[in-house]
Amino acid sequence: MSFDNLEQLREAMPTYAKDTKLNLGSVIGTLGQHLDEQQHWGTVLAVAAAVRSETTTPALAAEARARLSPEAADAALGAASVMAMNNIYYRAKHFLHGVYDDVRAGLRMQFIAAPGVAKVDFELWCLAVSTIAGCESCVGSHEQVVREGGLSREGVNDAIRIAAVIHAAAATLDAAELV
Amino acid sequence: MITIGQQFPEFELTAVIPGDLSAVDAKKPEDFFTTVSSEDNEGKWKIVFFWPKDFTFVCPTEISAFGKLNAEFADRDAVVYGASTDTEFVHFAWRIQHEDLKTLPFPMLADTKKELATATGVLNADGVADRATFIIDPTGEVQFAMVTAGSVGRNVDEVLRVLDALQTDELCPCNWRKGIDSTINAGELMTANI
Repeated sequence: MSFDNLEQLREAMPTYAKDTKLNLGSVIGTLGQHLDEQQHWGTVLAVAAAVRSETTTPALAAEARARLSPEAADAALGAASVMAMNNIYYRAKHFLHGVYDDVRAGLRMQFIAAPGVAKVDFELWCLAVSTIAGCESCVGSHEQVVREGGLSREGVNDAIRIAAVIHAAAATLDAAELV
Repeated sequence: MITIGQQFPEFELTAVIPGDLSAVDAKKPEDFFTTVSSEDNEGKWKIVFFWPKDFTFVCPTEISAFGKLNAEFADRDAVVYGASTDTEFVHFAWRIQHEDLKTLPFPMLADTKKELATATGVLNADGVADRATFIIDPTGEVQFAMVTAGSVGRNVDEVLRVLDALQTDELCPCNWRKGIDSTINAGELMTANI
C-alpha cells in the first residue's frame, strides 16, 4: 500500500522501527539550519525517486513537490534519473581499477550542464542519490563539488542523513508488506 | 572554408518559413517568408547546410532527409537551417512544387547576396555554394565542417551521429580519475580494435 503524506508514513511504521518513525519527523519533516528549503526538499524528492519504493516514494514526493518550484522538482528528478545511469557506469569503472578509464563513456548526460537550478543544489542531489547506489567515488566527487560551491560540511551531512532515513523508511515499509 | 574552432559568422537572411505551406492563410507572398538570424534560437545547437542550386536533382533527396530527421535534431536541442544562394521566391516555388519538400520542417535561407556563403568560404568558382554542412555549438563555435564536390549526396545519419558524439561529454564529476592506481596495459592498447 502507499501513503499520501509524511504523517501517514510515520503512523505506518511498525513498533520495531520506532527510530525510523522519529527520524522521519526530525530529519525529513523538520528543516535544519544547514540546508535551505530547496536544498532540503530537493534532496528528499531525488532520494525518494532513487529508492523507488511503492510504499514510501509517493508520500515523500508529494511532500517535496508541495514545497518546490516545478523547475526545482524537475531538476531533483533529473538528478535521480541521470545518476541512475552514471552511478552504474562510473561505479563499474571504479570497480575495474582504472583499466577502462581511457575508454570513452559515449553517454548523453547533457542535463547536468543545464539542470535549471543552482549547480550546488543539483550536485547536492546527485550526491544524495549516489549514496543510495553505493558508489564510493561518485559520492566523493560530488561532495567535492558541493563543498567547493560553498555548502558547509553540516549541509552535506544533512543531505546524507536525509538519504539514510528515506532508505530506512522504504526498506522497513516495503519489507513489512512481505514478511 | 571556415573550420572547427572558429566562430560561425553572424547573418540575417530572408527565409521561407518551415512547415506545410498549403496550411498557411497567406494574403501576399511575404506571408511565406520570415527572417532568420544568427541571434535566433540562442542556446541551441545549429545545423547549417548549403546546396548549390534549387531545382537540381540530388538536393531534394538530402534536404528531405534532413527534414525526416528534424525531430531527432530537435530532441538534441539543435535547429536545422538549409541555405542556397537562390532567392526566397525560388525557394518558395521549389518547396510548393516538390512532393518531398512541401512540408519541410525547417526554414530555407535565401543567401541572395552570397554574404553567408562568402563568410563561411563555401562560395565556389561557379558563384554558388558548395555542398557544405556545419554543426555549430550553442556558443557559436563550429564543431564539425564537411564539404563534398559535385553531386555527392550527404549522409544525414552521419551528421546526427556526429552531433550525438559531440553532446556526449562526460559532464559528471563521477568521471574524475584518481590516476594513481591505473594500470593501463600498453601492449593491450596497441592490439585493441580501434
